[in-house]
Amino acid sequence: MTIKGDNLSKIADELRKDVMKMVHNAGDGHPGPSLSIVEIIVALYFNIMNINPQFALWEERDRLILSKGHACPVLYSALARKGYFDLEKLHSLRKYGSILQGHPDMKVTPGIDFTSGSLGNGISIGLGMAVAAKLKGHNNYVYVITGDGELQEGIIWEAAMAATKFQADNLIVFVDFNKLQSGGTVEEISALNPLLPKWKSFGWHCQEVDGHDTALLIDAVSRAKTVKDQPSVIICHTIKGKGISFMEGDNSWHKRVPSDLELKKAIELLGGEDK
Amino acid sequence: MNEEIRSTREAFITAMLELAEESSKYLLVCADSLLAMRASAYKLQYPDRVFDVGIAEQNAVGFSAGLASSGFIPFVGTYAGFITMRACEQVRTFVAYPGLNVKLIGINGGVFGGEREGVTHQFFEDIGILRSMPGITIVTPADAAQTYKATKEISVYDGPIYMRLGSGREYSVFSEDDSFHIGKIRVIKQYGNDVSIFASGFVLKRVLDTVEVLKSQNINATVVEVHTLKPVDAESIASILALTGCAVTVEDHNIIGGLGSVISEVSVEHVPVPLVRLGIQDVFPQSGEAKQLLDNYGMSSEDIINAVKKAMIKKERLQKESIRR
Repeated sequence: MTIKGDNLSKIADELRKDVMKMVHNAGDGHPGPSLSIVEIIVALYFNIMNINPQFALWEERDRLILSKGHACPVLYSALARKGYFDLEKLHSLRKYGSILQGHPDMKVTPGIDFTSGSLGNGISIGLGMAVAAKLKGHNNYVYVITGDGELQEGIIWEAAMAATKFQADNLIVFVDFNKLQSGGTVEEISALNPLLPKWKSFGWHCQEVDGHDTALLIDAVSRAKTVKDQPSVIICHTIKGKGISFMEGDNSWHKRVPSDLELKKAIELLGGEDK
Repeated sequence: MNEEIRSTREAFITAMLELAEESSKYLLVCADSLLAMRASAYKLQYPDRVFDVGIAEQNAVGFSAGLASSGFIPFVGTYAGFITMRACEQVRTFVAYPGLNVKLIGINGGVFGGEREGVTHQFFEDIGILRSMPGITIVTPADAAQTYKATKEISVYDGPIYMRLGSGREYSVFSEDDSFHIGKIRVIKQYGNDVSIFASGFVLKRVLDTVEVLKSQNINATVVEVHTLKPVDAESIASILALTGCAVTVEDHNIIGGLGSVISEVSVEHVPVPLVRLGIQDVFPQSGEAKQLLDNYGMSSEDIINAVKKAMIKKERLQKESIRR
């Protein structure tokens, strides 16, 4: 069943609350980078992707690689809310013995399609999966979410070249373009602009959207699916810390644990706890 | 002594061609290394099963991890150092950590493999690097016949594996009938228990030649081939160390991290005996002719003889001391 419109934004609120509670409870984690991809995750898991939580390893499922693996709290939240594992497990993030490792581990977390966390690698791995799907004659799609800072890694562009060569039109990459990375602004550290022409020159089908608008994200994916013989990139303009006003655009939230008071405020800003 | 030279690279591709007939799940991933892997015939026959990602080893390994996670068995074939150094992290985090069925085939192993190319293409750290990663199996077939057998063995072995190959000019040691069992050492010659000589890879040939010289000097050695550097057949190694009481290791690899370290670790933990490690003595070699390089970097027949004598003197000294006590 696909979910649309207001219902998706309600789910997005729930995921944001989960992220804040998980990081607070773990005493560690990356809330800012998680919040900037909430709508991308929601659009994928609650509308776009052809998956079945009852059969997590179904061969012809769509796949997602969270190349910016540090944003995993929001992915874990989505997986739990889809029914891949119990919601209670979210409290165990980053704890010893947990199925929710500090960065995604495909061997221990149901629904994680590939291990990630060391930046730059997702497209390369996703390309392998996309080519595998074609070899098997399957019609599934492989989605990859990368950060913007991680586009500074060389392997990104190695994979970008190869994806064009292999005509991987079943590979769709979202760039979470929130313009901030661990140490400051992307512009200061190693600028990416002009970003879209870079991808275009590598032979990719390119789109640019508001990454916090699920309807636009869903439309962009529909358009990407009509493209033949070309991989697709959707550059998503996003805000780090989106949805919680005191966190938006404040890079100190790249890796920071909310205090009890900050958590309370954040939950209130997101409409409070469900009654 | 047999001086036949046959290519480990060609033996690998011969086995791959046969595997391709058996199943479409075996794929070959190259990084502009198709010619170096001698894989043109493979590409001609199975164009849809060869993926050349260009000079981009990190991507070759990441791409292969994606293929493997979808049920294929990719063989990544390129230069040993570019797999183990350039793509080191991709091997560790995306192949070894998830335990994926990716086969890493590294050519130009050692100075013998790299010879005239110089340091950039002589790879003598590969085994040390990979041995420190959990979950990877490492094999070093000693010649073309063994490479053919090893390729067949690793194709049915579930999990990440690294196989070290050479330049294509390796001396034949084994017959076509000799088998290859992953994880087991093999006693090749057992002239006596004066000393054990452990060898790994293409240097086995010169070790076998040298034990004949030793025999003529009334030094009777046991020669053991260690073609699997991980997992280590510790029990069998320990029992040989116990029998011989001293040992020499010979490998075309830095003496740090490879066979010398393997045997030292087993010895220290199980059977402490005098040990002399031959191989690259933690230096960067020069270009040159393969045999000349081995001779000049501590792996000559003379070096092996001297090492054996050194180990035996230490053993004798220890025996005398223990009698005195």
